[in-house]
Amino acid sequence: MFSKLAGFTGLPAQIAKIAFMAIIDAILLTMFFSALNKHASTIEYVISGVAIAANFVYFAKFTLPFKFLLPGLVLLTVFVVVPVAYTIQMSVFNYQTGNEVSKSDALVQLLNNGLQPDASNTSYDMVLGHEGSLYAAVLTSQIDKSVLLATTQSTVLLKAGQYTLDPHGVAKSAPGFVPLTITEAANADSLISNLKFPFTHGSFIAPQGLDVASLLTQTLSYDAKTGILTNSATGVKYVDNGNGNFANQANKSQLLEPGWKSFNGFSNYTHLLTDPAVRGPFIGVFIWTTAFALFSVGIMFIVGLLLAIVLNRKIALRRFYRSVLILPYAIPSFMSILVWNGIFNRQYGAFNALFHTHIDFYNSVWLSRGIIILVNLWLGFPYFYLISSGALQSIPSELEEAAAIDGATPQQILRRIKLPLILQILSPLLIASFAFNFNNFNIVYLLTNGGPTDLGKTAGATDILITYTYKTAFGSNNQNLGLACAISVVIFFVVGTVSLWGLRRSKVLESM
Amino acid sequence: MNLRALPKHLFLWVLVIFTLFPIYIVIESSLNNTGSLATGTLVPHHVSLDNFKLLMHNTGSVPYFKWMTNSIILATANALVSVVVGAASAFAFSRMRFKGRKIGLQALLLVQVFPSFLALAAIYVMMEKVYTVFPQIGLGSLGGLLLIYLGGSMGVNAWLLKGYIDTIPLELDEAARIDGASTVQVYWIIFFPLAAPVLAVTALLSFIGTFNEFVLASLFLQDVNRRTVAVGLQQFVGAQFGQNWGPFAAGSLIASIPLVILFLSLQRFIIGGLTQGATKG
Repeated sequence: MFSKLAGFTGLPAQIAKIAFMAIIDAILLTMFFSALNKHASTIEYVISGVAIAANFVYFAKFTLPFKFLLPGLVLLTVFVVVPVAYTIQMSVFNYQTGNEVSKSDALVQLLNNGLQPDASNTSYDMVLGHEGSLYAAVLTSQIDKSVLLATTQSTVLLKAGQYTLDPHGVAKSAPGFVPLTITEAANADSLISNLKFPFTHGSFIAPQGLDVASLLTQTLSYDAKTGILTNSATGVKYVDNGNGNFANQANKSQLLEPGWKSFNGFSNYTHLLTDPAVRGPFIGVFIWTTAFALFSVGIMFIVGLLLAIVLNRKIALRRFYRSVLILPYAIPSFMSILVWNGIFNRQYGAFNALFHTHIDFYNSVWLSRGIIILVNLWLGFPYFYLISSGALQSIPSELEEAAAIDGATPQQILRRIKLPLILQILSPLLIASFAFNFNNFNIVYLLTNGGPTDLGKTAGATDILITYTYKTAFGSNNQNLGLACAISVVIFFVVGTVSLWGLRRSKVLESM
Repeated sequence: MNLRALPKHLFLWVLVIFTLFPIYIVIESSLNNTGSLATGTLVPHHVSLDNFKLLMHNTGSVPYFKWMTNSIILATANALVSVVVGAASAFAFSRMRFKGRKIGLQALLLVQVFPSFLALAAIYVMMEKVYTVFPQIGLGSLGGLLLIYLGGSMGVNAWLLKGYIDTIPLELDEAARIDGASTVQVYWIIFFPLAAPVLAVTALLSFIGTFNEFVLASLFLQDVNRRTVAVGLQQFVGAQFGQNWGPFAAGSLIASIPLVILFLSLQRFIIGGLTQGATKG
């Protein structure tokens, strides 16, 4: 099969390569123009970067290693490095529920929200349609039954006789007015939310549905020069508070919603350490995460190592033990976790049913933590058995023989020679396992969902940093993406430091 | 059996029971048509295949086979593409000397410690933006999720494969080169066939990893028909615990059996792969 490829050189190969690159370029170019159309500048940059790199690497002569590296490099850069950079960027922004759009979008929304019904709450029965090329409406006041013909340019009061009323007393027609067809009416959603018929100065009539409209007054007005938002009804002036909101000039704690995402320096980080509402849960979660990861790795390693020592010697039923005890590693872990979740269910769970108890595991802090460790042990000890057994077998038998000749007992050989060697061999894997468990989202989320959680709190007793990040970013109350990213950065830092320290120790870095 | 080995057997049997307990519960629940798992005994009372039938026929709110298909497509695509692309990178790192190689390797080593879901908030916002331009690969699409998985598995796979390739003797390449082979030919003719078993194991580990992935899938796939089996089953069993337990157990069994068989039959290679990094130290 490969010998065919081997003969595939010279001109045909050149043509194939050019054709292939032409297809890639065509795809990238199409994508680039779609991005251009939607004004998505970041996506434009990424696509052009990829296109330039691909053409350079595959057409230049001296870039051979990069011909092999590029596809992986592109995937790694676009879908790992860019999100990580974006995480760091988001972590220095006030970016949360109520502050998630750009300033200009927030301003549009504020001005729209600044519309208020007039004093007498005037509303109209409405028939939508056209007058000439303009959208128009025939409006019957629900208060005094006067009838208006409004277009997007002007509004006129109609005299009796100019319109016809239906049995409910609603005007349905007017001179020059053509109602919407049924199809037009069916697709009028966006039309309804955007239409405004000017009425008097500063007020207009806006549809509230397909057949109702109300008289609204613009109370907020924005002065682009001074950057001040004024409420004409109350006279209150609002200014940019520098933290993504307009605030009352006289009383800065009065904010207008919505705000926008705004740069706030290291506030998210300082909040983690100083804001009592954030600091408490954060520090608690941090300690539990570290304890959970250390303890999990420790206990899994001990059980796995014992197992490896026991099964390394000849023992009856060895094959049986080996094949059964490896099962947890072979079963998809999310399923095992969900099954364990069910076993400890108070009402339906197998544990309470078998032992005729009524233990409410998920409502007790320490029982929840206990079952997380227990289930993690179930999931993880086979892996540790496998790596320990591999390490045991890699120890040269001469060492053992030499020690035995010097009169060492088997226990001494194990404790003084084998264990230190195993620890040394396995330390990179133990550190990797610590890093994995530090971010073991599945076990926490699927087993206890971080609970038990006190009412109104974001973090529960078994939440680890990564599930806490998830809840901070996508929880049901306040979604604080900026703070979530700051926590992610803290995790990067912890895991990165521990891993680097481990790699230095194991001297992997020097051997490259 | 001699008496000295008794404590060892005791230890082993405790572990065996611990290991088999949840597995037994799942099998029992899947065959038990009373729905709940609280039977109070270890022997199933009402053995039937009702739970399995329910999964086959219920396609509206619990499109179980759709979920399985999604999971298998995602896991297979990720395994194949990430291994092919990762192998090329690993080959370059192992066999070629170029500027930036050492820095690149160190960066790779560091990157592969971080699971890609750490940047979940950023990924979400980013893919939300991608959706407005390319809905096919944006938030909510299997394609977008696959791209994120591919990016995430690149570091680990390239690093793992580089370790293996380092163990293939250089003399083989050199002999081919003397015969006039180019680097690209060495890659396809010498390296690829030699590394095939190792590539298969790496692909299998990627497959299992993707199959188990939950965070990003639950964030990405809101539409019930686009869920993976992990997200689908979690939502299903979480919604109505007592009632859905039996079908859930049946579904877990169906999904686990092929993976367990695959794993056990390739056990020797997988263990070789796991301990490779360790025994080299």
